[in-house]
Amino acid sequence: MTEFALEEIKTLNYERPTTDKGYANQTLYVNLSDSEISIKPVTDEMKEVFIGGKGFDLWLLWNAVKETTKWNDPENAVCIASGPLGGTPTYPGSGKSIVTSISPTTGSVIDSNVGGYFGPYLKFSGFDALEIQGKAAGDAVILIDGLSQKVQILKASGLPEYAHEISSLLTDHFGEGKPRSISVVSTGPGAKHTLIGCLNFSWYDSRRERARYKQAGRGGIGTVFADKGIKAVVARWEPVTATTNNPADEAALKEVAKLHSQEIRELDPKQNEMATVGTTHLVDIMNAHDLLPTNNFRYGQHPQGLNVGQEVYRRIFDKGYDGCWMGCTVACSHGIKDFVPFTGPYRGKRVFVDGPEYETIAGCGSNLGIFDPFAVAEMNFYCDTYGLDTISIGTSIAFAMECFEMGLLNENNTGGLELSFGNKVSALELLHQMAKGEGFGKIVGQGIRRMKALFSEEYGADPKIMQDIGMEAKGLEFSEYMTKESLAQQGGYGLALKGPQHDEAWLIFLDMVHNFMPTFEQKAEALHWFPMFRTWFGLCGLCKLPWNDIVPEDNKETPEPAKVMKHVQWYAQYFSAITGRRVGPEALIAMSEAVYNFQRIFNLKMGFGRREHDNIPYRAVGPVTVGEYESRKERYDKQLVEQHKVDINDKSTEEKIAVLRKFREEMYDKLKDAVYKRRGWTNDGIPTLETVKRLHIDFPEVLEVLKAHGAG
Amino acid sequence: MIKVGDKNMPWHQGITVADLLSMLKDPYPYAVVRINERIVARPNFDKTFVPDHAEVFLIPMIAGG
Repeated sequence: MTEFALEEIKTLNYERPTTDKGYANQTLYVNLSDSEISIKPVTDEMKEVFIGGKGFDLWLLWNAVKETTKWNDPENAVCIASGPLGGTPTYPGSGKSIVTSISPTTGSVIDSNVGGYFGPYLKFSGFDALEIQGKAAGDAVILIDGLSQKVQILKASGLPEYAHEISSLLTDHFGEGKPRSISVVSTGPGAKHTLIGCLNFSWYDSRRERARYKQAGRGGIGTVFADKGIKAVVARWEPVTATTNNPADEAALKEVAKLHSQEIRELDPKQNEMATVGTTHLVDIMNAHDLLPTNNFRYGQHPQGLNVGQEVYRRIFDKGYDGCWMGCTVACSHGIKDFVPFTGPYRGKRVFVDGPEYETIAGCGSNLGIFDPFAVAEMNFYCDTYGLDTISIGTSIAFAMECFEMGLLNENNTGGLELSFGNKVSALELLHQMAKGEGFGKIVGQGIRRMKALFSEEYGADPKIMQDIGMEAKGLEFSEYMTKESLAQQGGYGLALKGPQHDEAWLIFLDMVHNFMPTFEQKAEALHWFPMFRTWFGLCGLCKLPWNDIVPEDNKETPEPAKVMKHVQWYAQYFSAITGRRVGPEALIAMSEAVYNFQRIFNLKMGFGRREHDNIPYRAVGPVTVGEYESRKERYDKQLVEQHKVDINDKSTEEKIAVLRKFREEMYDKLKDAVYKRRGWTNDGIPTLETVKRLHIDFPEVLEVLKAHGAG
Repeated sequence: MIKVGDKNMPWHQGITVADLLSMLKDPYPYAVVRINERIVARPNFDKTFVPDHAEVFLIPMIAGG
């Protein structure tokens, strides 16, 4: 039994408001530097413009930071919110939290969404959002106890280092025999020693009697959390029912929730089987379509790809209900019971692995040339408990491996580690080094942008080739899809506000597989509508999977099947039923558009958010190396001849690469023009005054930022 | 016999996924199907045989991810 102590530093007793139409109507502010705890009101204007969730987070963060604020300045805030629909146990996927902060790797605003119980418990405890500023003198735990109606800052000593142990211990400690009433946000030692730390949000698995967790991975928010000295934030609440949100129209909610829930229950077994295999089905599909990142995004396919696919994990996952939020019928959060790692501090011990999901398999598996499902599971386990983002880990190690294979690095630089693709022992060793803050792992844990600078300055590596193969944009590592043959998805990554994460737009199938949008204008329209609608889920506390991963049987007969409009209509009904604001599908897009443009201007405030910041490395656009070109020679030759009318006779592969690159880079540039125009932005990627006014975000401070950047 | 949704389709030796989709006369551009527990994507439709008594699911994947 771990001996630990929690000593009270500050307590705020408060009167918990009843949640009204999905809102608590106040937010919680904690400053760890001076132990301040206070409550801020939520205004009607906040609800009207920012809706909730990510919108509230962004508004709080905007007011917390200055344009000069760095990620590790005390005024940087970690903001966590659910949303007005969050916490509904009858509607699938209604337990998400959104976290924002100034990112250690991008220097600008980052957002990351995550399952688990925390966001809903925070709201039902009386707070639509939590904002944490300052830094603790020692290790701190923040307790938000909605049952006792108190918020506490506690000085912690003796708590374990590893996230799964922290979650388990604090769930037992604060649960007082009711562990399901607790959700813990924590990170681990890797977050402290790298810039790519994640946060773990726990949920209690009653059948397996254990605290499990999901991750807010992107952009290093776990690193900010650790830098503030926070060991954990704990929310305590019970019970949760269909009426805890106090919906405006209980009957309408019941009806629409039943429709969606039952449809998923009926159709998921006939479609992707997410309740059985989670997102692992994507591995097989991506591999077949040459879209599964392999060896640092060089290739999209590998003969051993199916070794880490759904047929294998179907047999490895522990069977049973795996919903990261109560009542969710997608229930895709699968895990591996009694897994025994072969390296690290848990070598030879039985542990539970929460995952892997597709992104982790592709990032920590295929993209590293690793096709061992158990090695991927071990990477997953250690990333989570060390507090590391599996996506940035995978993409960063893949970059280091390619540098090693290209001879840009050698074993003198890596501390003796042999870093060829496929070397799972070295990949795991890098993780263990990150947790200890030592060795080459500490360097890899700085992320690709800093690695590129360091390898050039310290080891004399060629910056130009590293720029081409280093899969980061805006300082964030790419998530795990190949984009070379999908111009729209190049935009989906490059034009995403926070950096290349697919949560804004996933257009590969529409664009490349189905060729449903051949023109720039069609791609631009998709790069308007999809990011806007996907943003809406983050405003409301929802998971987007129920929207378009399981679709109605008659969806294929609708005019725009990709939008799954039947579900969009249901979401409008759901929003109306909870909040009492009668809206249709168009209104959902308008809600997102305001917040989306506000976030773009937030980037501008922080010194980013212009056309130049939407550039992507050429590896995302086309073949960088002779080997890549030659491996798909027929494809590229055909494109040069038929699409670009190039005479390729007598051209060397290097010359063909150069010609193709010119065409493809021009197309990406034209795509930017089309998307900026559609979004109502200047040609430099800045929202125009007219756009800002139309969206009612023309606050004085917003106009000041625009004016300061010559766009006001 | 091959079960596809609520339809039963005749099986013959060597029938591929591409053959089966052609027989169904469904104009939707399916990119993914599942044969029992196995996922098959469009690039492999014409080289994947469907076993007798299989259950085939047509997966309308279009914009997930």
